[in-house]
Amino acid sequence: MTIQNIIGTLAGAFIFPFIIRLAWGKMVGCWGSIGGWMAAGFIVGTCWTLNHGVGFIFQTGGAWIDMAWAAGFGLFTASLVSGDKLGEGPTTAVMAILGGTLGGFILSCVI
Amino acid sequence: MKHLGTIIGTAIAGMFVMSVWGAFAGAYGIAGGWFAGLIIIGTMWFMNHYIGLVHNKGAFIDMALGIGVAGTMRDVFNNGIQAGVESLPTLITVIVGGIIGGYMAAKLEKYLAEKANN
Repeated sequence: MTIQNIIGTLAGAFIFPFIIRLAWGKMVGCWGSIGGWMAAGFIVGTCWTLNHGVGFIFQTGGAWIDMAWAAGFGLFTASLVSGDKLGEGPTTAVMAILGGTLGGFILSCVI
Repeated sequence: MKHLGTIIGTAIAGMFVMSVWGAFAGAYGIAGGWFAGLIIIGTMWFMNHYIGLVHNKGAFIDMALGIGVAGTMRDVFNNGIQAGVESLPTLITVIVGGIIGGYMAAKLEKYLAEKANN
């Protein structure tokens, strides 16, 4: 992993949760649930093009590191920074990791 | 039930993103990948966050956490632990970038809200 790879990966990982946090809620506020689909296309689809289509996020190994990792950690951080209490967050995080592992296992049986 | 909802919701989102997305990108390139974001994330967001299948009480857990884990674990199950170890530099860099991005967004969000109120 060169310094160029690190800069690209850091930048791509920064941009994804940054835009989600600032714009997703506003889109839903403006357009209702359709705003969620708008966000899915114009935020996630467009960021995917940057991070995985063009390749800002450099993959060092054989296990895929998706930009979703950046969103998971970034949005959790943003929530805490904006004043939300931890509450049941850590427990739900464990459940999400279990769910992701289950999904990954099922996928490994298929592809 | 709240934990069951989170596990099932993130597992389904992870499976769609880490199989169907690549199929669209493989068949139609960049346009396929963009379109996959629209249909997969749109539908999964509606189920997991708009309806609220992923339990959220306290600091926000996005379905993206489960999706990220699913993609990495898929390859660890397929290619072994070594594949995961070799991917650690990318994983750490992505998490650090994500945390900085989320932090900056929350700070700027606060600034923009204060500016709008003055």
